[in-house]
Amino acid sequence: MSGNDLNRRDFLKIMGWSAAGVTLAGCDVASTVTLEEGKETVVSYLSPEEYVIPGVGVWYASTCMQCAAYCGIHGRVREGRTLKLEGNPDSPLNVGKLCQMGQSGVQAHYNPDRITKPLARKDGKLAEISWDEAFKLLEQKAGPAANLAGERFAWVTGTVSGHQAVLLASHLEAVGSKNHFVHETIAPSVAQAVQQDMLGEALPRLALDKAKLILSFGADFLGTWVSPTHFATQYAKFRAAPRGILIQVEPKMTLTGGNADLWVPIRPGTEGVLALGLANLLLQQGADATGIPEGLRNTISAYDLAKVSDITSVPGARIERIAALLKQHAPSLVLAGAPVEGHVHGYEATAAVLLLNIILGNIDQTIVANGEFPFPQLVAKSGNRRSLLAFAEAAQNKALDVVFFHGVNPVYTAPAYLKLDEQLQNIPFKVAFTQFPDETAMLADLVIPASSSIEDWGTHVAAYQAEQGAISVQQPLMERLYPGSLGLGDLLLTLLKTRQADKYGAWADYYAYLRNAMAALPADYKGDAPNDEEFWNQTLQKGLLKVTSQTKPLKAAALEVSLPEPAGANADYPLHLVPYAQLGLWDGRHANLPWIQEAPDQISKVVWDSWAELHPTTAAKLGIQTGDIVEITSENGTIRAAAFVFKGIHPEAIAVPMGQGHQEYGRYAKGVGVNPLKILNPVVDAKTGELALYGTRVKIAHTGQKHQLVLEGHGNTSQLGRKLSSTVSAEQFRNTEGA
Amino acid sequence: MSLQNVLENWSRYRKGLEEGGFHDYEHRWVMAVDLNLCIGCNACSTACYAENNLAVVGKDRYAQGHSMHWMRIERYWDEAPEQEFYEQGASFLPMMCQQCGAAPCEPVCPVVATYHTPDGLNAQVYNRCIGSRYCSNNCPYKVRYFNFWSYPESSWPEPLNMQLNPDLTVRDKGVMEKCTFCVQRIRVAKDKAKMENRKVKDGEFTTACAQACPPNAIIFGDQLDPDSQVAKLWSQHQVQRVVTKQEKENPQLRGYRVLEELNTDPSVMYLERVREALV
Repeated sequence: MSGNDLNRRDFLKIMGWSAAGVTLAGCDVASTVTLEEGKETVVSYLSPEEYVIPGVGVWYASTCMQCAAYCGIHGRVREGRTLKLEGNPDSPLNVGKLCQMGQSGVQAHYNPDRITKPLARKDGKLAEISWDEAFKLLEQKAGPAANLAGERFAWVTGTVSGHQAVLLASHLEAVGSKNHFVHETIAPSVAQAVQQDMLGEALPRLALDKAKLILSFGADFLGTWVSPTHFATQYAKFRAAPRGILIQVEPKMTLTGGNADLWVPIRPGTEGVLALGLANLLLQQGADATGIPEGLRNTISAYDLAKVSDITSVPGARIERIAALLKQHAPSLVLAGAPVEGHVHGYEATAAVLLLNIILGNIDQTIVANGEFPFPQLVAKSGNRRSLLAFAEAAQNKALDVVFFHGVNPVYTAPAYLKLDEQLQNIPFKVAFTQFPDETAMLADLVIPASSSIEDWGTHVAAYQAEQGAISVQQPLMERLYPGSLGLGDLLLTLLKTRQADKYGAWADYYAYLRNAMAALPADYKGDAPNDEEFWNQTLQKGLLKVTSQTKPLKAAALEVSLPEPAGANADYPLHLVPYAQLGLWDGRHANLPWIQEAPDQISKVVWDSWAELHPTTAAKLGIQTGDIVEITSENGTIRAAAFVFKGIHPEAIAVPMGQGHQEYGRYAKGVGVNPLKILNPVVDAKTGELALYGTRVKIAHTGQKHQLVLEGHGNTSQLGRKLSSTVSAEQFRNTEGA
Repeated sequence: MSLQNVLENWSRYRKGLEEGGFHDYEHRWVMAVDLNLCIGCNACSTACYAENNLAVVGKDRYAQGHSMHWMRIERYWDEAPEQEFYEQGASFLPMMCQQCGAAPCEPVCPVVATYHTPDGLNAQVYNRCIGSRYCSNNCPYKVRYFNFWSYPESSWPEPLNMQLNPDLTVRDKGVMEKCTFCVQRIRVAKDKAKMENRKVKDGEFTTACAQACPPNAIIFGDQLDPDSQVAKLWSQHQVQRVVTKQEKENPQLRGYRVLEELNTDPSVMYLERVREALV
């Protein structure tokens, strides 16, 4: 190479420089990346497509769709492939962090069991059809020519928000239907109802970082409650000096319970009683009773220590200690989670727990008004369990002719007593718009392959917003793996065009619609962007658009509470079933992701399985040891799982995690474990009509059979005297790091 | 570094500890893990699977101890046996290769596949490894993972393989592997700094686990950069290197190194878990 100035090293240097330039520029051209279309043509790297520099990763901002918290993400794209997801540091929710479900988003995208072509039912079986045939079928059965009566059409979805929610509402309106069943199994829907009535806001902002003590009644805010990654970032501030105290009261230890200073097991369904007992103690000790109506004060005064201790099984001294701590550490924060909501008196119990916040003066301190989001039509339509029951009833009553499913798998999440699989036969035309062959899709008449969340456009506004509100933007992080697969926005636009061509015909695709929608935002949202093009690019680069909500102060209206007398022992069904929600499998939607299956449950450390947690005293009575298969029977069914004997559960409870027991859903999920939701009894919260997840009583029998549970660390629980994970007292922490 | 370097400097790497340690490090990548903040959520572990092409082995092989989680969360229950409930919650311990300054895995490798880099890392040369597994036997932390099987086809059926990170290899049967402190990210940062004729800046990159960690319990950086957050944390907690027992001015400070009494000189400092005495 003598005489040649540009040697290989210099060439690489130049490449590197230009790459840095590209990274800084950022942009929205991910959809021009075509290297992974599977074409045989070899494209020379000497003339790479724009923004594809071999060996250099470029980061694009988007939104995580693995749960309804809608954290901001950055996706690393290299040679046209998305390789890794990280949290978006600009997102006010997750500030650069990402949980294991979010990390696994790439496995939902590259999943080997994705549906790649439309399927239609022919002679009772689902068979591949062409896209043309699929659209023809849609047109024929659900288009304007079908003369479908509006009220006989329904959408059944998971949480939807942003402009997709707007289009979905438009589609329903165009069809003339009001049936939108938004179903989520893991959702704080009862607490939302209580907070709406009590505070005037369904999901006010929680300032965990401002609290000196958090008393959580089963709210697994580090694992599965509302916006776990956001709360985990706040938890770090809460635990930094001056360090806050966490007390968790629940029937089965959650991830949050595993991090508590004090974990208090409580008899399932009696959380409201403990809350009223604490309220009684606090009022007796001079807490401010203004704002507590007299009727309620009388109710509270009936809950004396001995009675409360007897009902809840929590020792009286401990209740007094918690009351004293609450008094001592103000402001505090009291939370009510799924175990409180999940009973026939769930609303009342939740109201009793949240009443403590009023008594303790936490309103406007640690519970703060979020105000009204300036674009209410974009805010997430939060799912619940009530809509599942309503949908099942509509199906049973033969009230529906055409149903579209998206982001939801009701055949899996519905309890067996609803017989949803049979009831679906009452609906002549069921369309599953899904990525995976889940249980619901397998019973559908038409299956349309959906794009993955990292192939799609969208906007998202989570129901729970951080201090800084934001519209989170979702953009494709790579070319579609399966050409033809549609995003929700594109499908809705296609459907709307067949009905209102004059209104929607102008948009070639959802991307065009979304660009226009963003351009139509009021000028004060566009900051210093000189034009709409620039504004769009800036928004995509950041991955979100910050907005300011109009705050109106929270009210603090204590609700009258009337808790039923405790049910007492049930000789036939002595144990309470706890269908335990876990960060990972969630409601079962992530059971097809190998990383999630192989990640140990945080508390039990079990992988690739279901198990039944039992307290040692309960297990000893029946002669059960870890690994013995037990038969768990309710009035509505039986499941069998290996027992896991564990001191993090109340002796009157048995916990089986949700998420396994799929009969379909691809190679990683199918046939693994059992689904505790199947044996739920028809118990609903009396006030809200929500399916009560914790209201089922069961009996167990020892089958005499064994099953090997596989545990990370082979089940070792002891440090054997070594200083591996060492603990110091909070007092020592205060001495050295500040009080 | 090359095999030649290892052979030439063998005694300095191996025996330097008694003389105050090896001094010619270019960087000294270390971590601080705050157990007061760690919630045991698995985000770090899954981020590691995504970044480092870790194989999913399935239930049966997991049962045989073949899992490949370079970063695992150990979970202990410290309650006395007579306690009826686990009232103080779990003790979580994120455990990954401690990148020991005097690594027990290094001298036992018959082919020098595991060696000490000038950055203070225990590197593993995959194509030099013959699978004797001596290193794994000698590791007191049990953080070395052996490929008993060939996983590429079973773990990444198409198109899952498209997610594989091209910045590092996919290991095949017969090879030992372990946490590298995301050496591929270190390389990129060092190259970039070199190209821009500057030093690597603290916080310009971090490991996959630290980046994902929701409560920010994991801090990674260069101990030789006195202004780095991690170096400050080590000195704040008065944790010394190259000792088997910490002699602290203030013994109440929380920093400690796991099993340092074995003279391994680990590069990971843990800050003790904190519990309020409420029980």
